Amino acid sequence: MFFKSLDLTTALRPLLLPDEILLFVQDAVGLYDGKYKIQNYQNGHAYLTSHRVCYVAAEDPRKYSVAIDLKEIDRVDSQAGFLKSSPKITIYPKPQKKKTDKSRSATASPAVAQQSALHPTHSLSHLPQTNLPQSSPSLKPINATWICPICSFSNPVPSNFDPATATAAINLPPCLACGIKPPFTTVLKAAISAVTSRESQSLNSVPSPAVAQDTGQPNVNASQSPVGPGGTVSCPRCTFVNHPYLAECEICGAPLSAGSSANANRVDSPAPLFEQSHIANTEVSESIKLSFRAGGDKTFHERLKGALVQRKWLLQNAPPVPSPSQGASSPGLPSPAASVENPLPSAPRSSGVGIAGLERRGLEARRKNELVIGNAFEDLEALMASAKQIVALAETLARESGMTTNESSPETSAVLSESAAALGMVTTKDMLSSGSESLYLSELARDLAEYLTDDRKGILQREGGIMSLIDLWAVFNRSRNGVELASPSDFQKAAELWEKLKLPVRLRRFKSGLLVVQRYDWSDEKTIEKLQAWMEELRRVPPSDPVPWDLSLFGRAVTAQEAAHRFKWSVGVAAEELEMAEDRGVLCREEGIEGLRFWRNYISSPEYNDISRLAI
Amino acid sequence: MTTTSPFPFPPTYNFPAFFTPQPNTTTRQAQLQKWSSLIQSWCRHHRQYRLSLIDAVESPLFHNTALRKRLDLREARAVVDWMTKSEEEGGGGRRAEWISDGGASSLGGLGNGAGQGPKAVAWIWWRRPEEWADVLVEWVEGTGQRGSVLTVYELIHGEGAMSQEFHGMDTDVMLRSLNVLVKRGRAQIFGGEGQEGVKFF
Repeated sequence: MFFKSLDLTTALRPLLLPDEILLFVQDAVGLYDGKYKIQNYQNGHAYLTSHRVCYVAAEDPRKYSVAIDLKEIDRVDSQAGFLKSSPKITIYPKPQKKKTDKSRSATASPAVAQQSALHPTHSLSHLPQTNLPQSSPSLKPINATWICPICSFSNPVPSNFDPATATAAINLPPCLACGIKPPFTTVLKAAISAVTSRESQSLNSVPSPAVAQDTGQPNVNASQSPVGPGGTVSCPRCTFVNHPYLAECEICGAPLSAGSSANANRVDSPAPLFEQSHIANTEVSESIKLSFRAGGDKTFHERLKGALVQRKWLLQNAPPVPSPSQGASSPGLPSPAASVENPLPSAPRSSGVGIAGLERRGLEARRKNELVIGNAFEDLEALMASAKQIVALAETLARESGMTTNESSPETSAVLSESAAALGMVTTKDMLSSGSESLYLSELARDLAEYLTDDRKGILQREGGIMSLIDLWAVFNRSRNGVELASPSDFQKAAELWEKLKLPVRLRRFKSGLLVVQRYDWSDEKTIEKLQAWMEELRRVPPSDPVPWDLSLFGRAVTAQEAAHRFKWSVGVAAEELEMAEDRGVLCREEGIEGLRFWRNYISSPEYNDISRLAI
Repeated sequence: MTTTSPFPFPPTYNFPAFFTPQPNTTTRQAQLQKWSSLIQSWCRHHRQYRLSLIDAVESPLFHNTALRKRLDLREARAVVDWMTKSEEEGGGGRRAEWISDGGASSLGGLGNGAGQGPKAVAWIWWRRPEEWADVLVEWVEGTGQRGSVLTVYELIHGEGAMSQEFHGMDTDVMLRSLNVLVKRGRAQIFGGEGQEGVKFF
């Protein structure tokens, strides 16, 4: 299992894969590798998605954020907090399997191919390995042993035995002692366990990869093999004390740990060695732990278990609709490998060409749409059913309060509105552990920032870089298709958090109290510059109708509508911006029967002062 | 009293926003300053010492027919109000003074502002009485009339002062200027109402 590097969105959240769904978020989480804390990874957000567990540090998140794939998780354990120890969730990686490797390299995930972990230098380099997936394991002989089920003799696994490609059809050599052929599974298990143990070993023996490579890989027990006085090494299998230069035990032939120096290093610094810069693309040794310093571990654990059961990541690799034509179209390829090599459902894999192919794809799309729409309407009906109940409940509440007081007192109406608000909030906070209001708000703030800065939608660009909060609220809730709507008060609170969270958008309050959203680097000065340039332009370009004033001197007046049209702002925003400019003395106003118009400020600009003085 | 040559309006007069009260304080100050200058130069050009706002709002001073813009009575009043204040109060340096009903009738009895309520007519001090006093002293000294006695009528309409700026001056303004000189000890006023004589020292 690897710590993968994590792509972050503009709002500093994990960038989700196409099918990925965010399941849970918890803040104040620390990361452990095995028993040790990982430096710089001690305070951050843990994001649980349907595919991954992501960690994003609160400080410098671009640097310190990692993810691990759920599909590589073997099991998870929950550990309750005790005294000063925070509750923790331990995640154990799966033993390495070549099958998963292949599918993983085929996914769009940015992490390096896993099988290159066999190469010990890997844990030092963060560059993607260029080794071919299949060639890597077969390049190096696996120094494993299998134990004969008949006579319990330890036989070496044949060097050409590759667990990735081996099948039961391969002719296995018989046991050296009793001459009975071993079952295929025994040898396969032995080979796999040797590979996994070596990988964990390779992580620990980081400082001397070359040594480790030269002397062959130690087996599973080698790391615990005691190093005797004088540098002698005792065999992990028969406990014979060997000379340190020996690669194999003199008595039983078991491979010895050559990494005495690696062990020494491990003792010297108990902290993991990869702590220096960042741990992305390094391998998880035995387990990792998430320490939940602000609670939320129970929900995280539950959801994580749920996600592990659901295996949503399988959908990513699955072919969209199993159709009989597919198998027939590609008979030459080994089917499982082919499907994982080509993971995107949209990839054209059918060999149907021309009109027939197009028709079939159209049919498939229609069927899929039918299914989706059918499901959606089922949901809608369920929603309506419950909505009726809620409305009925609200009505009874209202009636009761009306009966007791005869006229609606402000108190009861307040209570009623509160309960209504509470009803509205249940679904939105579902994703987060109860009671963490601030976390919900900060997540909503990030959500919003992402939504705003999403270049595909270009919300802010379309609005000229600035839009009112109310408009944003409407657009945002509409984009959520009626589920998980954000309440106005939460929305505003979330927007107020932008500045604190250092997100690329900010909330601004105009003089009149209008709240607008704009880019972080947007400033009044920039707006004024734009307005001035526009005014200058208006002065040079004569309008079609003659004007009674000196055009070359005063130019032309603008209304809020014109400004809104020109800068693609909303009218309210334009009016506010113009008034802001007026406030700064750049513009001045003219009220007339045509409405409010704004001029460049010739009243207080000094150069025109002189002219009027001369005229006196 | 009016001259035939048209009044040269400043360029700001043709600026449409000039006729709208500006909410921005800095801009407002500049605007009032410009209005004050405009009113003063207008009055000076027309040798006008008192300005009736009711009449003035229809005159080209406050009504720009080309732009179809005007300063209404309330705004004009605000401008003159500002002019009456001293600069320390954030005003226009006492360049105007309201003529109250009673004051107007007792002083000149011209009745220009009678029946129009308060703040309808104002002195526009394109030269303040103190400044007029200086001008008078300068003229008296320049023509060697120190110690001689002159009537107020002579001062205003006399042939000797034909070329002077105070020729044809409002009698009330002349009396106020002379009173300044009296306070300074440079002149003495005697005689009855309407036939005042003045002696310069």
